[in-house]
Amino acid sequence: MTDEPMHPELRDALAAEAVDALDGEERERLLAHLAGCEPCRAELAALRESAAALALAAPARPMEPARAGRLRDRLLARAAAGRPAASADGDDVTLVAPPASDASAGPGDDVTMIAPPPSEPPARAADDVAAIVRPPSEPSATPADDITAIAPPPSVTANPQVIPITAARRRSTLVPWLAAAASLVLLLAAAAYAASLRGRLRSLEEQVAAAERERGELARRMREREATLAAISAPSARVIEMAAAQPAAPSGRMFWDPATNRWTFFAHNLPAVRAGREYQLWLVTADDRKISAGTFRPDPSGHAVVQATYALPADALAAVAVTEEPAGGLPQPSGPIIIAGAASTE
Amino acid sequence: MQDAPSTVHPPAANADAALLRRMAAGDESALGALYDRWSPLVHSVVMRIAGDPDDAEELVEETFLQAWRQAGSYQDSRGGVATWLAVMARSRSLDRVRLAGHRRAAAAEPLEAAEGTGALDPSPLDAAEVAETRQVVRAALDRLPADQRETLEMAYYRGMSQSEIAAATGQPLGTVKTRCRLGLQKLREALSVLGDGR
Repeated sequence: MTDEPMHPELRDALAAEAVDALDGEERERLLAHLAGCEPCRAELAALRESAAALALAAPARPMEPARAGRLRDRLLARAAAGRPAASADGDDVTLVAPPASDASAGPGDDVTMIAPPPSEPPARAADDVAAIVRPPSEPSATPADDITAIAPPPSVTANPQVIPITAARRRSTLVPWLAAAASLVLLLAAAAYAASLRGRLRSLEEQVAAAERERGELARRMREREATLAAISAPSARVIEMAAAQPAAPSGRMFWDPATNRWTFFAHNLPAVRAGREYQLWLVTADDRKISAGTFRPDPSGHAVVQATYALPADALAAVAVTEEPAGGLPQPSGPIIIAGAASTE
Repeated sequence: MQDAPSTVHPPAANADAALLRRMAAGDESALGALYDRWSPLVHSVVMRIAGDPDDAEELVEETFLQAWRQAGSYQDSRGGVATWLAVMARSRSLDRVRLAGHRRAAAAEPLEAAEGTGALDPSPLDAAEVAETRQVVRAALDRLPADQRETLEMAYYRGMSQSEIAAATGQPLGTVKTRCRLGLQKLREALSVLGDGR
């Protein structure tokens, strides 16, 4: 029933591409072919549509109701904040007010958004900043425009010379004066408003910058953690437990991934070292070579993390140990063993 | 294959299309309605791949925000809005899992093929035609030889390439390619019955 592709020899490759499983070079060849072959493109589209049905076969996993409700609220709030039509250009004053609240929500959003790859929100924050930033770039224009819009009578204020002539009709001469006074009040109010907007703008810009810095810092920390996690949770990772050789109960744990040669060492309850001394981490091989994996000092609460890269055959490790040595370490251990652990063979 | 004319779609699909039109016009209540209809499905997809409820919550949120932003460019297809959402959810989830640099154990759970059809459906919210598609897909998966099903599963839900699948299963690359093609072809035939039946 299914349409035969124009190039039957590509059927395997098309099927693989439809589930995004085609490997590099073969994929490039296929893509090059597809560029000039409409029947194969159509075939791929049909296969992709079939593959998409696989998504529907995921086992049903309902969300907890509380979680689902919370997420719904957040989703709608974010959608409302990011509504594309909201930022029409033009009226600066009304433009400033809504994005101001929007932007103060924005940085908060971004902080909670750190965990997912921040695809959209930063762009949105940047848009908002641009929208807010615009007015001060033309500071004199905006208030002036507003005044002419709100209070047309500047021409009236230009009429004081007329007063003596119309002195008999006092009541009506009052009108231009009142209008002038009113426009002065409006002018002052507009100036004060502009000043307060500038102040608010500055503080928002500072908030955005601070949030941006915090986001960068959190993203950096997350990358570090993910690297650590990847090193210790790899399928090939091995774990060597180390027990205390002293009554103070320091302990450590080494994660070794022979596939990537990554060593990640965590220690706890290590006593502080004296000035001029450091702890040194050793990999002890089956033929009793002692390889330094670096020196370190624990933090004030006795914790330490050491990461190292060193290639060692998977069966060559006999033990891991920590000794206390002169600062900078020695080529061979000389001090007392603080903690040590034998590498179990799996 | 027939080009799906709009008459193919029952009212439920039209309801989805109407929601997307309202979303494109900036009506976030339509997004709420879409979420109410399809978040169980989207959550099932992201849980299948990411495995962690906190990750899943974020991924569901990202998926619906993407739907919100792209509602205006949605192109109707036979799979409809449900498949559109599920494909976005899969793609985002795989990106996340790849970013995390490791594949989680939860992803080892098999596709729901052999467990009978429909018992675990979030059916009250599933539009009828999607429930039907799900049944057909599961039945088709159920009939596939286990190695073909696993091959599709590793590619689609774990984002593994053919050479990775070959390495993981210890099978020659050519065998993996064949399994992938045959599995997908059978799935396609099963779905074409569904499409032609309309």
